[in-house]
Amino acid sequence: MGDAHRKVGDYVRRFSDAVLSQEGSSLSPLLAVSSSSSSPPLLSVADALAAAQDWGRLLKQADAQLGEILSHLLRAIHSFRSGRFVEAYNAFERSANSSAFLQEFRNWESAWALDPLYTIAYEIRILAEKADWELSSHGKNPEKLKAAGSFLMKVFGALAGKGPKRVGALYVTCQLFKIYFKLGTVHLCRSVIRSIETARIFDFEEFPLRDKVTYMYYTGRLEVYNENFLAADQKLMYALSHCDVRREANIRMILKYLVPVKLSLGILPKTRLLEKYNLVEYASVVQALKRGDVRLLRHALLDHEDRFLRSGVYLVLEKLELQVYQRLMKKIYILQKQKDPSKAHQVKLEVVVKALRWLEMDMDIDEVECMMAILIYKNLMKGYFAHKSKVVVLSKQDPFPKLNGRPESGRMLSGMLEVRSKRQVV
Amino acid sequence: MTSRADGYSMALESSSLERQQIADAGQGHISLYASAPPGHQPWTSAAGTAAGEWSSYRIDNCTVENGIPSISSYHDDQQTKSTASFQDGANVTSRTSSLSSIGVSNASHDYSAYYSSQNSSDPYAYSYQGHYYGYQQSSNDSSHQQVGAVQNTGAPYQPLSSFQNASSYVGPTSYSSTYYNPGDYQTTAGYQPAAAPGYQIGDYNHQTNSWSDGNYAPHHYSVYTPDANSGQSNSGVTVDPSHYQQQYTQWSGYYTQTASASICPPGTEHVPRTSASAEHPVPDFNGGYPVVNSQPPPPGTTSWRRDSVFSSQGANDVAGYGQSNGWQNGPLVFANNHHASQTHSHFQKSLDSTPIPGVSMEEQANTVYTNQSTAPFLSTNQVPQNFQQTSQAVSILDTVRVSKMQIPTNPRIATNLSVPKMDKEGSMADAASKPAYISVPSSMLNNKVSSHDPAEGIMKQGTFPPSLRAYVERSFARCKDDAQRLSNQNMMKEIITNASADGTLFTRDWDTEPLFPLPATSLDAVHKDSVHRLKRSPSRRTKSRWEPIAEEKMVEKPASVNHRSAEDMGFNHFKVAEKPEVAKYENKVNDWSNMKFLPSQQAVANKSIHRPPKKQRFGDRGATENRDGSSDSEKEQDLTKYYSSAMALANSPEERKRREHRHKRFEKGQERQGEPKNYQPRGFRAGGLYNRRPSLSLLSKYEEGSGQAVEDIDWDSFTVKGTCQEIEKRYLRLTSAPDPATVRPEEVLEKALVMVQSSPKNYLYKCDQLKSIRQDLTVQRIHNELTVKVYETHARLALEAGDMPEYNQCQSQLKSLYSEGIKGCHYEFSAYNMLCVILHSSNNRELLSSMARLSAEAKKDEAVKHALAVRAAVTSGNYVSFFRLYKKAPNLSTCLMDLYVEKMRFEAIKCMSKSYRPIVPITFIALVLGFSRALPTEEDEGKESDGLEDCEEWLRVHGAVITVDNNGESQLDAKATSSSLYMPEPEDAVAHGDSNLAVDDFFTRAP
Repeated sequence: MGDAHRKVGDYVRRFSDAVLSQEGSSLSPLLAVSSSSSSPPLLSVADALAAAQDWGRLLKQADAQLGEILSHLLRAIHSFRSGRFVEAYNAFERSANSSAFLQEFRNWESAWALDPLYTIAYEIRILAEKADWELSSHGKNPEKLKAAGSFLMKVFGALAGKGPKRVGALYVTCQLFKIYFKLGTVHLCRSVIRSIETARIFDFEEFPLRDKVTYMYYTGRLEVYNENFLAADQKLMYALSHCDVRREANIRMILKYLVPVKLSLGILPKTRLLEKYNLVEYASVVQALKRGDVRLLRHALLDHEDRFLRSGVYLVLEKLELQVYQRLMKKIYILQKQKDPSKAHQVKLEVVVKALRWLEMDMDIDEVECMMAILIYKNLMKGYFAHKSKVVVLSKQDPFPKLNGRPESGRMLSGMLEVRSKRQVV
Repeated sequence: MTSRADGYSMALESSSLERQQIADAGQGHISLYASAPPGHQPWTSAAGTAAGEWSSYRIDNCTVENGIPSISSYHDDQQTKSTASFQDGANVTSRTSSLSSIGVSNASHDYSAYYSSQNSSDPYAYSYQGHYYGYQQSSNDSSHQQVGAVQNTGAPYQPLSSFQNASSYVGPTSYSSTYYNPGDYQTTAGYQPAAAPGYQIGDYNHQTNSWSDGNYAPHHYSVYTPDANSGQSNSGVTVDPSHYQQQYTQWSGYYTQTASASICPPGTEHVPRTSASAEHPVPDFNGGYPVVNSQPPPPGTTSWRRDSVFSSQGANDVAGYGQSNGWQNGPLVFANNHHASQTHSHFQKSLDSTPIPGVSMEEQANTVYTNQSTAPFLSTNQVPQNFQQTSQAVSILDTVRVSKMQIPTNPRIATNLSVPKMDKEGSMADAASKPAYISVPSSMLNNKVSSHDPAEGIMKQGTFPPSLRAYVERSFARCKDDAQRLSNQNMMKEIITNASADGTLFTRDWDTEPLFPLPATSLDAVHKDSVHRLKRSPSRRTKSRWEPIAEEKMVEKPASVNHRSAEDMGFNHFKVAEKPEVAKYENKVNDWSNMKFLPSQQAVANKSIHRPPKKQRFGDRGATENRDGSSDSEKEQDLTKYYSSAMALANSPEERKRREHRHKRFEKGQERQGEPKNYQPRGFRAGGLYNRRPSLSLLSKYEEGSGQAVEDIDWDSFTVKGTCQEIEKRYLRLTSAPDPATVRPEEVLEKALVMVQSSPKNYLYKCDQLKSIRQDLTVQRIHNELTVKVYETHARLALEAGDMPEYNQCQSQLKSLYSEGIKGCHYEFSAYNMLCVILHSSNNRELLSSMARLSAEAKKDEAVKHALAVRAAVTSGNYVSFFRLYKKAPNLSTCLMDLYVEKMRFEAIKCMSKSYRPIVPITFIALVLGFSRALPTEEDEGKESDGLEDCEEWLRVHGAVITVDNNGESQLDAKATSSSLYMPEPEDAVAHGDSNLAVDDFFTRAP
């Protein structure tokens, strides 16, 4: 009993000491509720709380403002320890909310408490995820993560201003990204991105590197969704090049999106890279691109459909099919060239159909003709199609232009102007 | 037992056939009479089933009936009088029930005190939750409880019944039944008879039962009661108890008296309102009544007051009553009942308080009756004194009743007129006697009355100040009978003469001038007591007991009851009463005729008795009213005339305005309190009972908890349960709470869906119908396969018609319905959904998530497979495969793809013009772009040809360059076309960008 009280009292004292001396580094671990099982001091406090039910009076030692933070915080620790995550989340949010910690944080002039605030932003997300898990396992509506999102927006508001605290904004933004991506409400990212990228108070280079990498990773993913491959490539490349090489898991996550983006830009990864980062699901895709094997691509997509759909690259990979066709045509062209260079630029449609049949692609002549037309239309193949004679007439000069980091020309539904301008570029 | 049960069943059936009810009711009454106590359980069950039918039943009607019966009883005998008093009591009770909400908690407590605590608590809980759905259960519970009560009281009960003359009772009951809507009537009739025998007891039981249930209990009952008329009265009673309890903890004293009074007369009327609940209770009550009677009477009175008062004023008045006489309470109830039944508008008009005063006046008379009745029956009751008085007072009472009676009949149609007057009078009298209580109402009343009074002729307008006229009116308003009036007139003359001699005629403040004491008439003795309010001159019998209590209550009541809530309550009631009046105006008339005839049918013996009494009463009432100066008084003597005038009044623009006003206030009140809109009673239809119940329950809730937190409300209990039987219904966007009478229950909706599906009419009609079905489903919170079917049907129709906004609504609903695990054509619609995403929103993330959601099983579905193939074709731009898929699209996927065809063709032609050289034959284009109707088989030249022209036309419209070769075949000049293509402005473009919203387009597209 006495020991439990002593432990709780000790925690309270350490907490107030850290606040009074403004030592963020010693305050942060005291807030890390979700890691209490791995943190001995917190663990003992959590157990002590269970023993000392009347710990509330211990708080009276602390001053009034900290008392409110601490009372909720201790309750959160206690609840978390007993596996009641919803309660833990609720208590923690109350402890962190604007009436308590956040309010204090606003009042502190310096940015000494940024670290504790990071901890809070992280903890609130973790606790919310656990609480949602608990809620949904009880058949209730999981809503805590959403609540955590709105709380973090408040935190963001507290940081978005002039002064030393602004560098913390990107960390909160990244936590928000995590929440939004998890919730599938990525459209909410837009407002945060806008304020990060347009507000003058923020200088992107000023932010901590780890936050910048995370930020670039998420915004790159957003660009993948939008099939904006050039921008996605740029952002993901930034993330990759700045990412700590020791963090292989992070690199893998970046590559998971970067590889499809690069593929659609016509850049193939080395097999070693895929193996190193355990991205073998892309191996057969790459293989199909190299061989012009449409069937292989389709199989690869089918095999890993769930994974690709979940990560959101399915549509990107599917679009690689045209490049596979291009590769196939190029192979036919090369073969014809070897046989008869003078007629190599005329590829009969029936040849293509036959090739596809070997690949067990059951396409009739109209469909193949359509594919040829699309290849030409998309600038993957230079030349024209003669309908009357059913022959693809290839340009004698560079009939299969390489993408070389350029995306294939536009989406199917791009307007006329766009098509024209692209042609000029070509 | 069995006989009763039969009677009940009869009544129920009759109720279903409202018109025929009368005859049945008569029979039912008798039977009920005999076996009132035993029938309990059967009753409840029957009631539960029949509840729906009863809905048509109206409270107002009940009141009317009550009034009549009371009259008849009066003439007949003391016993009959007692019955009359009973009726009054019943009315009172019913009112109380409506008000009951206020004191629910209190009621429950009290109840427990009286009865076993368990019973009280259980019913209570039931009533709370149950309102709508659970009411049956609750009613059952209540019935059980009642049964218990019955057993207890059983012994007393039988004696009582024997005591009273069955025939006389029957007569009254039959009357009431006639007055009421047939269906309602029967129940009421049955009730009354039952009540009459066990009468007082029965009421008591009801009250007690209601108590246990709390305010809610009445509601529950009401549901049941609808079936059994008797039950209604009971319910009314029950309701009252709750009020009573709250206000007056001292049940016993009042209880017996009031209970008896309440039971017979008003009860029936009120009962309808309170709902059928009374029915159950009645039988039970009869059994349990005796016991109850001894204690409960007071509560009844209190409840009355509250009800009548609705506003705090009312409460005050009530308190006063309670003090003065338990009897008075009964009468008060009566008056209140009248008010309520006739129209709440009265309350509003005359002030809440006014009704009470009126009640008090009348009630006094009534009380006398009740006392009489109770005395015989209850014996145990303290009433003996009352008894004697009652015998004397009977005549007075009769007059009062008569007036009331008329009012009740009118209530629906034009009750307001007659009743308000009565109330006004009463209030005036009260005001005179006790200004403190009635102050506000009294003034208003006086003003109103003033116009009437001049008729009395003591004063002539113009020569006297208006305040003096008001004073005179006031003084006359007090007068209960001719003798009083005469003396009053003399006194008045004297005063005025003196004043004019003094020269103070114009200077004196007549508004504050105290009224001179009225000489007690032979009958007036009783009256006076009541008039003066028990407080001042505590009634000889009950005073001692009541006074202290009454005072306490007086103080507490105003505080406890919110004015607002009270008003709201009043409004609600009013609405209920009024709307029915308007809507059922004709019905009422019919009822009237029925009523008249009914008596004869029911009990010939009674008839003879009844009729004469009626006339007498009328005469009496006419006299009283004339004195009051009501413009209608002249007509009142002739019933039919009276009615017509009442009707006219009810329909007069003024009246309508007032109603609207009240209506608005009511709505506001609802909103304020955050109540579900469902409750709003709207135009009552045949199924109006349901409506009323909810409204009542709501009201009660309001009152109870004007301070209650919204989250404490059990919203489930507010869910509407429709009663409309019409299959066809136009869609009208709800702007307020739905009226159950216009909401169709599930079975009907099912029929409606079939009707729409097989209807040959166009999409607009079907859309309208489906929207109304959807609305009804939503309002009733029906989430099942029917719901899915409705949405699927609508989604398909919308697809066919290209009504995408409607389709999207359905689709999103279906999404959540499917996710609830409700079966339907899930795959078909996920295919539609995917097509929609692919083709219309082009949102990759959404597409990904909808693809990820597809189960492996779903992917085997033909429609889903097709949709996935379409998606692939679109993402790759494969127009050939797209148009092939277009041709063999399953279900209605074609319709969705239709909307994308134009885009796809344009892209395709762009692609072709760029990649083909030098020309592309039109035939080929027509083939691959789906212009030909047949599947693209090249051999089938004939069929393709008819697509050719379309294709050529389409190409031209889009700027393609077409040449004709040597063979006369049209060709697309690819090179020329590649730079000349354009997307023409859609012909059906509309300013707001959504062509689906263009009316003309919409019409043309509707098949």
